Amino acid sequence: MASVELQGLTKFYHKRRGVENLSLDIHDKEFMAVFGPAGAGKTTTLNLIAGIVTPNSGTVKLGGRDIGGLEPADRNVAMVFESYALYPQFNVYDNMAFPLRSPKFKMPEDKIKERVTHHAKVMRIDHLLQRPIQALSNGQRQRTALGRALVRNPDVFLLDEPLSHLDAKLRHSMRAELKEMRTQLGTTTIYVTHDYLEAMSLGDRVAVLNQGHLLQLASPDDVYFRPASIDVAKFFGDPEVNIFDATLKTSGGSQISVQMLGENIPLALPPDVVQILNEKHTSKIQVGVRPPDVRIAPEGDKQAFHATIYSFEPLGTKSILTLKAVDGSFVRALVDGHLTFEIDRRTQFCIDPHLLIIFDGQSQKFLARSADSIENS
Amino acid sequence: MDRDTGILGLLGPILRNLILFLYALFALFPLIWMVILSFKPDEQMFTTTFIFTPTLDNFRAVLGEAGFVRSLWNNLVISGLAVALSLIVGVPAAYALGRYQFKGREDIAFTFLSFRFAPEILVIIPLYLIYQKLGLIDSVFGLIWVYQLISLPLLIWILRGFFEDISPDIEGAAQLDGYSWWQVFFKVLLPMVKPGIVAAALLCFIFCWNAFTFALQLGGASTQTSTVSMTRFLASDTVHYGWVAAAALLAALPEVILALLIQKHLVRGLSFGAVKG
Repeated sequence: MASVELQGLTKFYHKRRGVENLSLDIHDKEFMAVFGPAGAGKTTTLNLIAGIVTPNSGTVKLGGRDIGGLEPADRNVAMVFESYALYPQFNVYDNMAFPLRSPKFKMPEDKIKERVTHHAKVMRIDHLLQRPIQALSNGQRQRTALGRALVRNPDVFLLDEPLSHLDAKLRHSMRAELKEMRTQLGTTTIYVTHDYLEAMSLGDRVAVLNQGHLLQLASPDDVYFRPASIDVAKFFGDPEVNIFDATLKTSGGSQISVQMLGENIPLALPPDVVQILNEKHTSKIQVGVRPPDVRIAPEGDKQAFHATIYSFEPLGTKSILTLKAVDGSFVRALVDGHLTFEIDRRTQFCIDPHLLIIFDGQSQKFLARSADSIENS
Repeated sequence: MDRDTGILGLLGPILRNLILFLYALFALFPLIWMVILSFKPDEQMFTTTFIFTPTLDNFRAVLGEAGFVRSLWNNLVISGLAVALSLIVGVPAAYALGRYQFKGREDIAFTFLSFRFAPEILVIIPLYLIYQKLGLIDSVFGLIWVYQLISLPLLIWILRGFFEDISPDIEGAAQLDGYSWWQVFFKVLLPMVKPGIVAAALLCFIFCWNAFTFALQLGGASTQTSTVSMTRFLASDTVHYGWVAAAALLAALPEVILALLIQKHLVRGLSFGAVKG
């Protein structure tokens, strides 16, 4: 029973902004992924919840109770630090037993042993218990840090980039493991990451932070398919989303189409998008197109945009293709790996208007995206 | 491979060791000379050959003097307590200077360091006057206090580097693990900086033990330390070089033994935090 509620949290380190006016509501047993680039205020958010730093203003509530005045030890919150923060003078066992020997969570040694060995088994480090910390690999240290957080059944888990120091392969398998663990534990968890894949695969919801502000709080699908702003769209997805300036053309009553990339090819927008655009009276828009949604078109296709091939990076099953459109803007496309392209050759591509993400040209905020595009993909 | 088997390959290590040996001889010669002097009888004192009839008379004479033995004890008590006081004051100070960002942090740290800049002889007259007014001349506490000028800056600056090297995350982790700040300090932080504390404390002890100016001017008959006590063998009419050498040897012995015992900590401690800090 522990929901976490942040209300108007602000923390400045001297002049430097940590977070500003951050409000976040994390439900009981939810797995919340907090995503953002470096300096977004992710770690500050965790430290504020843990009580390691005190906010300039705002409140932190745990299970409905204001815990602003409590010491970190009294909050019953466990945290895994990015640096793991293991105690170098102890071995793995003593590191994991450390919280259980504290005055706060004290229990008899035989019980400690039971708990530590149980959780060491879960983390698959039970054969390393007598090892000093210096003799562990990064992956083993990370498991030890997780184990130390797990042993005392906290109300909330705070995980600060636990996978960032692991090599790519290990990161992948640990991600799967964390996902499994998350269902077993059923504890409220706040997971900070700068990797959008981690955020999307693990989080029940994703909170996108940048420069201390909350940009969007939504389900992983929504963050990806209906990003709140162009910035959010750019954070998620690799290669990065294509953003084009576009003009709206009204033709024949209720029809609205989009023109872009310096060509006279009207892309008729689906009716649900048209309806939103009409309500908002927007004239200037920007559109986002995900690279997998850019399709190479057969020659002679009347609806296709012309382009020259600028660069081609084969990545095995997929290849990244950068195209130069007629107006000089670059278009990134993700194409099948078995296709090969020659640089500087002419080609053409098409974009399904259902897949366009429409942003307001001025505020760069999300306006609309066709609903049926999401069910299809 | 060729280099190792050739004549040059064989000569290389020999030459290297020979040079090192010669340098060691050069560096240690004053010490060796002191040891030799301490075993020489008075009449052979000024011979420049190394041939002499060894005798323990010098040691007998020095140890027979109640004053000198007492001064060794005095030095041990005063230096030991001075280091203890430095530890009590200096460890938290080093932590604060290493961890917290506050206005004037670097200025305060530099002020501590600057205590070591001025030669002792420069401040001894004002200090003497102050001590006279306070009635601290020839008191154990007075010497311990003034020795802080010697030991505290050293201790703070060595340990500061150690505390800076500890990630603040560790403190946060220990606090979340259910410990109060004081418990974190004693159970987690102090064990982590132990090599630094050992090295710094030892260095401080050596500097205090060797202190002469302060001990001479601010000490007195009841607090005479071994460094001051040795000068009694340098009377105006006769100088017993053998006695002086024996006394110096006896006074240096505790430091040498101490340094050898914790050599491992010393090297690690000094090369770990101090250089980086």
